[in-house]
Amino acid sequence: MVHEFSYVAPTSLDELLATLSERTKAGERAVVLNGGTDLLVSVRAGLERPDVVVDMKRVPELHRLSFDNKEGLTIGATVTVDEVLASEEVRERYRVFHAALSELADHHLRNRATVTGNLVTASPCGDSTSPLLTLKAELVITSASGSRRMKVQEFITGVKQTALKPDEIVEKIVVPAESAGARGGYRKLKRIKGHDLGLVMVALYRTDDEIRLSIGSAAPRPVLIEGIKPGTDADRVKTMAQAAINPIDDVRASAEYRRAMVDAFIEQLLEEVK
Amino acid sequence: MKIQVSINGTEYVRDVAEHKTLLSFLRGVLGLTGTKGGCGAGECGACTVIMDGKAVKSCLILAAESDGATIETIEGEAAGSELSDIQKAFERHHAVQCGYCTPGMIMSVKDLLRRNPTPTRAQIIHGIEGNFCRCTGYEQIIEAVEELAGTRTTKGELDYV
Ligand code: FES
Ligand code: FES
Repeated sequence: MVHEFSYVAPTSLDELLATLSERTKAGERAVVLNGGTDLLVSVRAGLERPDVVVDMKRVPELHRLSFDNKEGLTIGATVTVDEVLASEEVRERYRVFHAALSELADHHLRNRATVTGNLVTASPCGDSTSPLLTLKAELVITSASGSRRMKVQEFITGVKQTALKPDEIVEKIVVPAESAGARGGYRKLKRIKGHDLGLVMVALYRTDDEIRLSIGSAAPRPVLIEGIKPGTDADRVKTMAQAAINPIDDVRASAEYRRAMVDAFIEQLLEEVK
Repeated sequence: MKIQVSINGTEYVRDVAEHKTLLSFLRGVLGLTGTKGGCGAGECGACTVIMDGKAVKSCLILAAESDGATIETIEGEAAGSELSDIQKAFERHHAVQCGYCTPGMIMSVKDLLRRNPTPTRAQIIHGIEGNFCRCTGYEQIIEAVEELAGTRTTKGELDYV
């Protein structure tokens, strides 16, 4: 790394939170290090200039993945994408989420990258964001002075921007039990067959009385459309989606292409869950 | 800070600057230059090593994070002048041209075959999707792995030419 920083690795949650609060109060830029697959890239690119990097991977309390019928699915901060993918519970009960995570980067990165990290990075093309939105996931945000809960759509405030304060961490993600077992699908448009950033992604979630749709890479913030009645005409759903998105032209794709593919994906996904 | 790592069975205790990556530690501090650096951003896979049993990209890990870890690199493959089975298969199938991707590619193949000793062609392609090769076009690499998986009986020499 061109930029120099120091490194600390607390071994308990209390120590981690105290470190963040003290360092931040002292005017230092303290940045949490989770899987590192985004942070170290940003540091190298000069986009992030931490004074101290606080590794959270040695905190055992944060490395828990569990499911129960009341609380739902709880994903601790340092649980890696591959660990979530390996969970039978996730594979069986949260199919769309599972499908989306298997599209996230490649095997080596999934060994390190975490689901919370993917959310905190808040990239419009994050693969976990759209499915978590349709699942009504909540984040537990914790600092030395306490915890608060927040919905994913409130958490992500803009391109790579979140509601997280410098002394806070996302302690865990909670996916409600009611969202388990729903049908749905995930579509991701890429330039190549192998791993790539999504040019546009659509997640669809369907229960007996509602369809929810989330679209990524098509607006500064991920888009969620709720309360669609099953059986609604595909053209109507597409019109709703087109009104909600605001894609840009960039080096990877034109806005027009993105819009066209959102329509195509919606049509395919609606057909699948009929 | 001082870190202790086990690399290819040898214990190392070294001082390392806290902002240095595992990749630069391996190459710059330990002189284990078999592992290559390419993009430095997790995309090309040249820097792939196996850490605590998992294939990872060493350009995206701080040396400090690897304190206490067990690491395998390309230097652990050959025993003296005797190449490992994966290396021999790569040689037979001409899976190496410039060789820059090879150390990372071999570590990914090693990890793949450990998880799944008999991968299908699709699983092989999936297993090396994080490793770019700009020379071979991948076909020879896939054939080498197919031979190791026992799903190809021909013994290299560019079957399709
Ligand atoms: S150098 Fe690490 S992935 Fe390219
Ligand atoms: S042999 Fe040259 S990049 Fe693979």
